Amino acid sequence: MRRNRFLVLLVVPALLWSLTPIYWFCRMAFLTPLEIRRFPWPLIPHEANLAAFYNIFGFDYALPNGTSPASGQAEQIIRGLINSVAVSIVVTMITLVIVLPLAYMFARTSFRLKNSLLFAILLGTALPPISTLIPFYAMYLRLGLVGTLTGLVIVNLTVTVPLVTWMLIGYFRNLPPIERLARIDGYGHLAAFVGLVLPQARSGVAVAAVITFLFAWNEYTYALMLVNGSTANTLPTAISGFLFMYPEPSNLAASVIITIVPPALVAYFLQRHVGDMSLVDAVR
Amino acid sequence: MASERFSPFRPAGRVRTFRRSGRDMSDTQFALAVAVPVLIFLILVVIYPLGYAVWMSFQRIVLFGGYHTVFIGLKNFADALDDGEFWWSAWVTVRFTTETVALTMLIGLGLALLLNRPMRGGGLVRTLVFLPWCLPLFAAGLMFAHVARGQTGLGTSIAYALGIPVSVDLMTSALVIEVLAVGAAWTMAPLVAFFLLANLETIPKRLYDLAALDQLSGLETFKFVTLPPLRYTLFVFTSIVTVLTMKLFDFIFVMTGGGPGQSTATLTYLLYKVSFRNLNLGYGAALSLYLLFLIIGATLLLYLAWGRRESRR
Repeated sequence: MRRNRFLVLLVVPALLWSLTPIYWFCRMAFLTPLEIRRFPWPLIPHEANLAAFYNIFGFDYALPNGTSPASGQAEQIIRGLINSVAVSIVVTMITLVIVLPLAYMFARTSFRLKNSLLFAILLGTALPPISTLIPFYAMYLRLGLVGTLTGLVIVNLTVTVPLVTWMLIGYFRNLPPIERLARIDGYGHLAAFVGLVLPQARSGVAVAAVITFLFAWNEYTYALMLVNGSTANTLPTAISGFLFMYPEPSNLAASVIITIVPPALVAYFLQRHVGDMSLVDAVR
Repeated sequence: MASERFSPFRPAGRVRTFRRSGRDMSDTQFALAVAVPVLIFLILVVIYPLGYAVWMSFQRIVLFGGYHTVFIGLKNFADALDDGEFWWSAWVTVRFTTETVALTMLIGLGLALLLNRPMRGGGLVRTLVFLPWCLPLFAAGLMFAHVARGQTGLGTSIAYALGIPVSVDLMTSALVIEVLAVGAAWTMAPLVAFFLLANLETIPKRLYDLAALDQLSGLETFKFVTLPPLRYTLFVFTSIVTVLTMKLFDFIFVMTGGGPGQSTATLTYLLYKVSFRNLNLGYGAALSLYLLFLIIGATLLLYLAWGRRESRR
């Protein structure tokens, strides 16, 4: 019992740290225009005013003292939501297929040039987007990829593949090397990997999937340059349309809430796999 | 050594002689088969923009009055070294990165250790702690600006609620870089925490039972049981967070816009200003190459000072 209370003392600050800025911002979505004009804003909204959520999807909302008009961004937001989901899922799939064997290989085998090769891969992510935007745009114009989802997937892969490879190496190094036994028993590399390593590595795969999904979901700088305003618009670029319309902070906050929900769901369903490591104990 | 070549597809178990070297052969081949396509893809997609940036950095690019470029050699690079703004931005970047990386790793490790404990509602707690990483970076920047600014800030509202009518503005303080670093650590710590968590769970529970039998203290258990398998991952994430922080732009752009004054103008911000506002593309490209050198230098230093030791382990 005492241990439990002790744990609560640690969990509460962790939750406060993580959630306070989010709460503070998202609270705006529920404030009425009247409350926003006052200073300072209330700590807690007095009523759950849902007008902003209707507005960002293109509906008018009747308030007791007038209507809150539909936002002109609705089309962008809805399309952005669909595109973001599609791009993130595709990027996650491709990244995992490429990265899992790659990271495993780097963790397990040793050969000359391994460290140089690793470094070369990391370099792919070292380029800051802000400095490659113009060259990227020039290249994409030539390839006809500007304003396409394919182009966006490729850009995302250049970020996720190197980063997630690096992240997973340390994880694979910690797994017990039972695939060595499998190899002695005559399994091929691929069979040993798919049949033995992956089932053991569920928590690593789950975390890698969440991280990749979020890198793709949150990618903003390239999307702004390459697909903004086209039909391949993503959610972050659609939302940033509200950025400089400061009289309407509620719409911005409401659309940020919409952005958090899908990745939070993905995180919730995948984090369940983190923690089920009975197999590792059995083997060691 | 090997007198015959072994196919990677032949089961290793059937190979009686030279099994050891035969395995090594096919290991290397497996490694190449996995790594080479990825490298080719990365090279194709990365080398063109990089080459283009290098080319631009040697030119003076004139956009108005007829687009044309003039080859000026290393002048852009030399100009940067004489530019006080460049040195200031480099210093801001180093300070901001050091603070952010230290904070992110500490908070990430702390969160991972906490989330590793079995508790009721653990799944929900994990998801909630993970939320800051679920935001686009510019949205995270907006949030932090919102919390820290005097007009809308948390401090102001709390002060008023307590009956003290002062406006608490963290954004104009001398510590604005630190506020920015806290914000960046806030967004990135969950990323670190989750990978460390996955790593923590590869530690057999048996080891903790043994540690309890040996009556190790909590700190000793952490040092001898928990920490060793995390060390390599800690190194990798220190490198990754360093790279991510040095590249960070949208968060800074939205949160402080480089200000007040030039106080949070990192190299990425200066780059944006030079390339997209002053439209001095050649100079901007030269700056971006300096930034790239800084990133490579920092990761290389980390590797030499720390990673080399860990990867030999």
